Amino acid sequence: MRVLLRRLAGEGWRFSRPKFEIDDAGVGYAVYTATGPQRSYSLVAFAHDLPDDLRSDRVIAEAWDATFALFDGVPTDADIERLKQNVPLQEAGRISERELSLSRANRSVRLWDHVVSALAKGHQPDTDMLDQVGYLMRTTAVYGSGKFGAADRETICNRPELSPPFQVEMLSVYLTRAFVRDLVQHMARIKGGSAATTLDQSIAQRLGLGNSTGLGMAPFVINHPMLFNNWIMAREEAIRRVRLIARATPDDIHLFKDRLKRSELSVSRWVSQHPIQIKKIASLTRDLDRVSGRIAQHGFHMEFPWDALMVWATSQLSMEGQELLASLILEPYPDLVDPLANCMAAAQSDVTSIDGAMTIAEMRHLLENSFGWAFDLDWQSPQNCARAWYVSEEKLEPRLGERFEEPVAPYEQPLAPARDATSAFHDLKAWPDTSNIAEFLLEHPEHRHTVRRAQLSRAAPYGEIRDNTISADVLPIDMLRAKLSFFGATHFDPRSDRWVRICMFAGAPYPDHLSKANAEDWVFPQVAQ
Amino acid sequence: MTVSLNEVEATAKKAARGAGHTWGMAEEAAKATRWLCRHGVDGCAALARLLTTETGDIEQDALKRARVWRPVSAPLCPLNVGASMADLAHELIDEPRQVGHVTCPSLLIPFAADIASKTGKTVALSGAGFTALTDGETLNLVGQMPYQADQLVFHTTASPLRPNGVFSRSDPAKPDWAMLQELAHRTYAPATEASRLKGAGAGMTDND
Repeated sequence: MRVLLRRLAGEGWRFSRPKFEIDDAGVGYAVYTATGPQRSYSLVAFAHDLPDDLRSDRVIAEAWDATFALFDGVPTDADIERLKQNVPLQEAGRISERELSLSRANRSVRLWDHVVSALAKGHQPDTDMLDQVGYLMRTTAVYGSGKFGAADRETICNRPELSPPFQVEMLSVYLTRAFVRDLVQHMARIKGGSAATTLDQSIAQRLGLGNSTGLGMAPFVINHPMLFNNWIMAREEAIRRVRLIARATPDDIHLFKDRLKRSELSVSRWVSQHPIQIKKIASLTRDLDRVSGRIAQHGFHMEFPWDALMVWATSQLSMEGQELLASLILEPYPDLVDPLANCMAAAQSDVTSIDGAMTIAEMRHLLENSFGWAFDLDWQSPQNCARAWYVSEEKLEPRLGERFEEPVAPYEQPLAPARDATSAFHDLKAWPDTSNIAEFLLEHPEHRHTVRRAQLSRAAPYGEIRDNTISADVLPIDMLRAKLSFFGATHFDPRSDRWVRICMFAGAPYPDHLSKANAEDWVFPQVAQ
Repeated sequence: MTVSLNEVEATAKKAARGAGHTWGMAEEAAKATRWLCRHGVDGCAALARLLTTETGDIEQDALKRARVWRPVSAPLCPLNVGASMADLAHELIDEPRQVGHVTCPSLLIPFAADIASKTGKTVALSGAGFTALTDGETLNLVGQMPYQADQLVFHTTASPLRPNGVFSRSDPAKPDWAMLQELAHRTYAPATEASRLKGAGAGMTDND
């Protein structure tokens, strides 16, 4: 998200709303156009009147409060008409190469009603209630890269503004947030007439756009080892660069302390009902106190102060605290860190060509390197293979089944790389070290996907999850969070062990107020003076 | 209706898996079908035909690096042959290989391209009234692709390439696309009420 806003502000992108054709019932369409140095992109938004009983965040839903497509350029009336026939149907419709993404959103019913009523009566909504929910609408899917007929990423990835991964989706979400603000304002004016007031700019800015994410995102992490490697690698390199700084300047320290204080406020507004996350937020709150205490006591006067802080953190803070600290130490050093965003795209496909000349010995070594930890697990034990990933016939939804309770094993997806690597390693035992892997694959085509992944690990050392993805205690929400965190999502709120809600762009300036001055630090809420 | 190449790849992978290929070979099928479509050859038609044709195994001689790869019984599968040839690309640089009776031979072309990429040479696949030249990135196809071929040769060449165009979309014939989707469907588990609720972890209201 910050990569996107940094570019939009830095390049002076302009924003307009050429269409806003929404009727008194809140039904119609609107177009939001973003224009950069070379190209324009337009969000085409459709607002619907959705009965409560049809509102579902699940992939199996068939109707939504609002539906969207990101159009490549500025749509003509004919384009809008074509999209009107298809976008509201989502998966059941078709979009074209002119569209870059397809998405939909549902209202947070309680916050939506509250904000409309308050504004209609002429006063501002209750900010405590706003902070409890965080958004007026949440997207329930944002599809890009060739899905349902959209343009493939390969056709647009050479454009500088779309080269970093998921910039299409982030732009779509950013413009959607502006549409949602305008729509709630429109509905308040319809309801309140001349008594209605305008949503205060600073209150609107606190609102993000929500998102519900389910299991579908978990396979993505496993199926894109090269892309995910590049993300982790960029992160590790950023942290390494900062830990190598010998002296922190007063300005660096000042900025770090500011972000730390504002993070405390952000964490205090983080609401979750999930027992696991409630505990994590509590320990994170304690961790933040400890960090402040440590800084008050030791300051930053030692050599390599950031490294010293991180070393201290490994023994003193929970994982949540360590992760937050690792991201906060990057804040004072945009010149060192921000260019790494350009290394996060995957130029290479995840389905690479196999090097058949590789020796059996080398293949064993690669498998051991990524999955040695898994070789001694008993893969027959129900505990270690209790789950099976499959795709349901119904709306093609990815699901996680109980291998020993449901008839899903015949449909299992290849999403257990550790188990498969163990099996390949076992079969390789009978082969001489100097034979090549091409010969092995002629006899064992069932290990082809595993051999491919293992070879990919040479270029993608962070491409594999070092854990069992089918064990009885696997938590898919952890995989979802890993991906969502790279988007810059906040207020991670698991709703079960396999789906989550998050918030995006909370605190961000809207397109009409975006500037170089406010494009960076919005993710940290302002502390009242 | 045109489809995106990502749709081609995703559908081809599931269809090949649905037809009984291993996951690794399904990945090869997907990559090959996409490559053909990108280069203006109807990969969906070839894959749909292949996946509904009975094919045989490669004679064990292939394991001993025979110069001619022959089927044991029915025609050879171009995915198995192509993938194995590409795996052995390092051995094919100076020594042409012949492939006996093979079905849907256009699906061998992407593997010829892979061999070209790996060896840095232009690779020709010829016989049965066509010649496909590729340097890995581009394709120069001359002649009509047959449904089956009795004798094909993979060899490196110094012939100049006059590349055909590349495409960002594909326009498969309806019956072919429907066939691939039907095969893909076999990879989906029938839904039950329990899995509907449990499998994706829902059950809470979204009207909040």
